[in-house]
Amino acid sequence: MAHITINQYLQQVLEAVETRDGAFCGELLSFKHPHVANPRLQLPNPEEKCQQVLEPPYDEMVAAHLRCTYAVSNHDFVEAYRCQTVVVQYPLSRALPIMFAVTLDLRIFANSAEQQLQKKGKGKVGDMLEKAAEQLMSCFRVCASDNRAGIDDSKKWGMLFLINQLFKIYFKINKLHLCKPLIRAIDSSNLKDEYSMAQRVTYKYYVGRKAMFDSDFKLAEEFLSFAFQHCHRSCQRNKRMILIYLLPVKMLLGHMPTHQLLRKYDLMQFAEVTRAVSEGNLLLLNDALAKHETFFIRCGIFLILEKLKVITYRNLFKKVYLLLKTHQLPLDAFLVSLKMMQVEEVDIDEVQCILANLIYMGHIKGYISHQHQKLVVSKQNPFPPLSTVS
Amino acid sequence: MKVIFLFIFSPKTVYFCRFCRGFCSRGRGRGRAQGTRWQQGQLKEECQDESEPRGTCMRMCPDRELREREAQKRLHRFEVLPGTEKDRLPRADPARTVKEYSRPAAGKDCVRAHDLRPPSVLLETVCYLIDHVAVSPSLQPWTEVYDFVFDRLRSVRQDMIIQRTSGPECVAVLEKTVRFLIYASYRLRDEPLRLYDPRINDTHLQESLSWLLDCYSHGQHPHQEEMQALGLLYNLGSNRALQHALELPERVREAPAIRLALAVNRAHLERNPVRLLRLARQLDFLQSCALHRHLGACCRDLLLLYSHAYSSRNCRFPLQRLAHILALEESQAAWLCQAHGVTVDREWVVFSKVSYTEAPTKDLRGLHFCELVDSKREAHCCQDHPWMCLRLAIFVDPCIIFPISLKLLIVGGGVF
Repeated sequence: MAHITINQYLQQVLEAVETRDGAFCGELLSFKHPHVANPRLQLPNPEEKCQQVLEPPYDEMVAAHLRCTYAVSNHDFVEAYRCQTVVVQYPLSRALPIMFAVTLDLRIFANSAEQQLQKKGKGKVGDMLEKAAEQLMSCFRVCASDNRAGIDDSKKWGMLFLINQLFKIYFKINKLHLCKPLIRAIDSSNLKDEYSMAQRVTYKYYVGRKAMFDSDFKLAEEFLSFAFQHCHRSCQRNKRMILIYLLPVKMLLGHMPTHQLLRKYDLMQFAEVTRAVSEGNLLLLNDALAKHETFFIRCGIFLILEKLKVITYRNLFKKVYLLLKTHQLPLDAFLVSLKMMQVEEVDIDEVQCILANLIYMGHIKGYISHQHQKLVVSKQNPFPPLSTVS
Repeated sequence: MKVIFLFIFSPKTVYFCRFCRGFCSRGRGRGRAQGTRWQQGQLKEECQDESEPRGTCMRMCPDRELREREAQKRLHRFEVLPGTEKDRLPRADPARTVKEYSRPAAGKDCVRAHDLRPPSVLLETVCYLIDHVAVSPSLQPWTEVYDFVFDRLRSVRQDMIIQRTSGPECVAVLEKTVRFLIYASYRLRDEPLRLYDPRINDTHLQESLSWLLDCYSHGQHPHQEEMQALGLLYNLGSNRALQHALELPERVREAPAIRLALAVNRAHLERNPVRLLRLARQLDFLQSCALHRHLGACCRDLLLLYSHAYSSRNCRFPLQRLAHILALEESQAAWLCQAHGVTVDREWVVFSKVSYTEAPTKDLRGLHFCELVDSKREAHCCQDHPWMCLRLAIFVDPCIIFPISLKLLIVGGGVF
């Protein structure tokens, strides 16, 4: 592949088109295929050659693809993106294997093009990706509205792949609200459990992350657990990515990860956080969050981890309860425990507020008596297990 | 089909460019392809100016519009030449007439350079609007002042958009706009809908704010910390705003204003209204204005939490303590409690899980957070510049650096 001539390549494309070999045609137009590294195919103006061998409109489409390889060899991703948008618009691109290949490349080029423009200080962040998203949406609409073919030939099988590509863009440009109509489309589709496992895992991963963002933690746990369990064990990197989001959700629901799990997936940043939360050690928690702040912020989980503070308060106060061995606990005891954890500027009013929050959320069964300045807890199970509290 | 393809994808697509008055091969509008390649052997056209028209109008209002509105009797009463108000055709005061906002419409004349104001004039215009109209004690009622300034600021932003302005003047204009809109959101909070619509104010405020934050992503800006903090406070509870703030460079994030705003947001995230209200006392006047629309919800949340935590038969909570926590006067605190179904018995509050109601039974517009907002106004005035006491000294860096041009004064025939 790396040494064939332009004519040989065009002959192969012609053959693939004539024999309706979608898979092979898709490979010939994909940037994962070695032909893109072939300098004989990297031509700035292949139109004439293409016209000699191929019928329209294939000639212009392949010409655009070859111009794209030329642009990529010059590291001009902006031009590559532009050529790729031309390729995507042709009707042939609607054949699923070809569509998968060209849309994937479109997104990747949009990404690279943006990075290039950013380095030069031009271009607004998200511009190119948004445009790529628009193109993908039009492909998606073609697929979703394909009612004519039978179920085996239907373009609806392309929907989930395109949705996953769109999710990746929307997450990157931080426009998560655009995911909702896509999720609805899949939910109402009768094919949703028939797609390949790889596509379903990717889908659940993104939907799980969206649920996290919407603070719907039960749903997030469901989706992310599915993704984690069904992700192939050889895809360690993907499993790690899923785990980064699954861990905080599980911790909020009271399930702490084991050390082995963290070490296996190289996520030791969570180790101290886990220990701090289970011990009720606010000081350690704040330190751990500060230490790995950059990592957590970059992944977008910093804010969720901050919510663990509530769980930490609960664990700390439970320790106070166990120490004092009474069900009428003076508020002062809690104030002292917080001061020991070096919580700044906390006073008795704030202690009452924190306790009120825990009572409201169901983490503590009891009430506060302001007159006696005491927290009166239930004699039975005053600190219900975290997994039972919604 | 084939014809269309040839037209769109042929590199020789040309059109008549109305800005450079010549034929260009570029796509129009922002964000389109930056130039198609000609056939081999020809130059790549790089028409710089065609998508960035430069304004040449050096006054606050273009001549054509001034004459038009004068002839049609469409001058605002703040723009009329003093002494001519009662005339059959009041005269325009060129030093006080400002270009108004006009909705872009299909079929309208394309924008002409002498109708657009360059960035320096735009900044001067904004300074005039803020320093001489918005804070003027003699112009009443303030709802009318607000309407005028709001509209004229919108026109300024329109000019900036058409000219694709960026740079220090753009940033300064947006900063002043944001400060004005935040202040207005507080000052006019009790006005009826027909005089002031908080949602429209909010839309424009959010637009200007996100434009401003976009500008901040390149280069150094002296007021960035102040404005980022205001954005954080105004958008309390927004995950997006919070995530954006966390991603700021460390040097910016460490500024006291932002640290305080982040702390307020954290208290909100942890659902700790006591802490939130305590931190809110440390905010300055404008920051408090930004935060104030969330204060009602915070107080409500506190009442909800306490209704559950203190819900026991003999529990009584001192009203005075509650008022102190809520930073309200006792009578106001009692009123708020009753509006949410919380019983108040002389100086005791009796919380009960069952009697708390989410939706207030009364109109809460009379709620005044004096301690948290109003009382800071004077403090803000006097501590910075005593002579600003007459003004609302929130627009702290007025036109000392960009004085209103002498031209305007001379043309106006007087000092305003």
